[in-house]
Amino acid sequence: MEKAYAQALWKMITDGMPPKKAVHALHDLLKAHGRVELMSRVGKALVRIAERASRRTDVVVSVAREQDERKAQIQAKEVLKELGMEAKDLKTQVDDTLIGGWRLEGKEHLVDASYKKYLLDMYNRVTT
Amino acid sequence: MDGSTVEKIIKEIEQFAPANVSAHVGRVTAVGDGVVAIDGLSKALMSEVVLFEEHKGKKLLDAMHPPAGGRSELYGLILNLEEDGVRATILGDTARVSEGMTVKSTGRILSVPAGDEMLGRVVNALGEPIDGKGPFTETTMMPVERQAAGVIDRKGVSVPLQTGIKAIDAMIPIGRGQRELIIGDRGTGKTTVAIDAIINQLSETPEKRPICIYVAIGQKESKTARITELLRERGALEYTIIVDAPASAPAALQFLAPYAGVAIGEYFMDKGKDVLIIYDDLSKQATAYRQLSLLLRRPPGREAYPGDIFYLHSRLLERACRLNEEKGGGSITALPIIETQEGDVSGYIPTNVISITDGQMFLISDLFNKGIRPAIDVGISVSRVGSAAQTKAMKSVAGGIKLELAQFRELEAFMQFASDLDKETADRIETGRRMVEVLKQKNGEPIPVEKQVAAIYAANQTFFREVPVSKVTDIERQFVEFLDRQYKKVLDSIKTSGQLSDDSKKALDKAMKEFKAAHGELFSIKV
Repeated sequence: MEKAYAQALWKMITDGMPPKKAVHALHDLLKAHGRVELMSRVGKALVRIAERASRRTDVVVSVAREQDERKAQIQAKEVLKELGMEAKDLKTQVDDTLIGGWRLEGKEHLVDASYKKYLLDMYNRVTT
Repeated sequence: MDGSTVEKIIKEIEQFAPANVSAHVGRVTAVGDGVVAIDGLSKALMSEVVLFEEHKGKKLLDAMHPPAGGRSELYGLILNLEEDGVRATILGDTARVSEGMTVKSTGRILSVPAGDEMLGRVVNALGEPIDGKGPFTETTMMPVERQAAGVIDRKGVSVPLQTGIKAIDAMIPIGRGQRELIIGDRGTGKTTVAIDAIINQLSETPEKRPICIYVAIGQKESKTARITELLRERGALEYTIIVDAPASAPAALQFLAPYAGVAIGEYFMDKGKDVLIIYDDLSKQATAYRQLSLLLRRPPGREAYPGDIFYLHSRLLERACRLNEEKGGGSITALPIIETQEGDVSGYIPTNVISITDGQMFLISDLFNKGIRPAIDVGISVSRVGSAAQTKAMKSVAGGIKLELAQFRELEAFMQFASDLDKETADRIETGRRMVEVLKQKNGEPIPVEKQVAAIYAANQTFFREVPVSKVTDIERQFVEFLDRQYKKVLDSIKTSGQLSDDSKKALDKAMKEFKAAHGELFSIKV
């Protein structure tokens, strides 16, 4: 039940209603139905929805070394442009297992241009 | 490292061209009991195969070596499309999947390899060899889920599929393209009937011999190993493929195994060949599917099976058919097996499969325990389309047996209470007893159809009337061996023409007289 209320609240907020006003509106509705005790659980469900939404919108570029960050960002932005996605708020992290190159993940897309990926593909082709 | 590997590496390096290909991905949010919840993958298709990216965060050396005994890549199959994600089943070891793991969409529906080189091999539900004889080199990928052939593409069942079991070929005949259910309690000989049918295909000429596929679902590995060995010993493995989803395999693979088997069968059917497929057994497949469905949180229905349990079996068995000449004329004959509990054929799954198939043969514990093997209850067993495929020779001799046996069973029950019987009733009982003996058969000893015809003809001519009941089976075997030695031409004529001509009948009558004269001591009862 709380999941449905949280989804409705999330939709109101993402549709442009000020969060404070939306929460008050929901509170009044629950009070009218005698379900105001649900409010705390709706809050927790809303946090989970927000986390999931953030995971879906965040774009992370992983690089093997810090000094590769700038070059990787430029290449990743070009790829994002080709995919028709906005290149704002690009987060970067270091993953030394990549060996070299970069790896972009976010918005349900994955572009792996790391040396590890190339070497693994090559290994699989040679050994099978 | 050998020279060829070095050459391959050099070639790979020379041809290296980095390409930034975008993949559609999701992320594992929950995993347990072979089922994963995935966030994302909003464009995924139903029944699409997804790939779990295991090497993320692993060093190159670790990523190069999959877990011991595991496949190099771990796949999943999407079974639920939901509002905020998808649910998939893992086609492998669940322990290899962890929360947060990236899952890649592959854009392809689950397929299995199929090809001629699979003959004589044992594969798992994904079509991968598990007999240690190396990988397949030339195979075609066949979709596991495929729409069954339509009405226009089909042809009526008219060609017999000989099982080599007298009781079946005479009274419950099976045609190529038919679906005949084998149903009975555990330990009544269901698998034996199916395996004998495979072995009997040896008596067919290579051109007419169907490709056999044995799908073991939820069976003990020891049983499948024993069957494989038996088929190998008898020379039947070379035209057989065994698809094995043992009891230790994940429920997803047990659910998929019959579909993988029929997909391999369709490869051969599309090439115009005949295929015999055995699903051993669909009760266990239904149980595996129930487990999956409950884990996928689909609403449970009767006996906790999901609402689409009927469709699970109907869409599988509808793929058994006989194609018309324009489509190559191939066929798939299905022998699904269902295990009943305490002889209850009115259970949910048994009634479903009974209603889907074109006939059923019931194997009964009581008959089995009485020593009547195969323990087929011919009174309640039927074949709805097979009679059209029965040879004229068999039809001419087997016409009245079913009725005769049914009458015998009634009289036999009555006899337990009555002390005095009139001569006609007593004769009928004696004939019935002998017919039951003639229809008895040891396991692993299927008999070619021409010999069956000869034996049943002899029984109809009261050839065994003077033989003690306990010796009928033995004398029938000796008589058939005698025919094989002395009257091979007659047997060949029945086999090639499919008819029991007057000349053949005369020859068989003569053979009976000769046999009786030579073995007078066996016919000890004075009538």
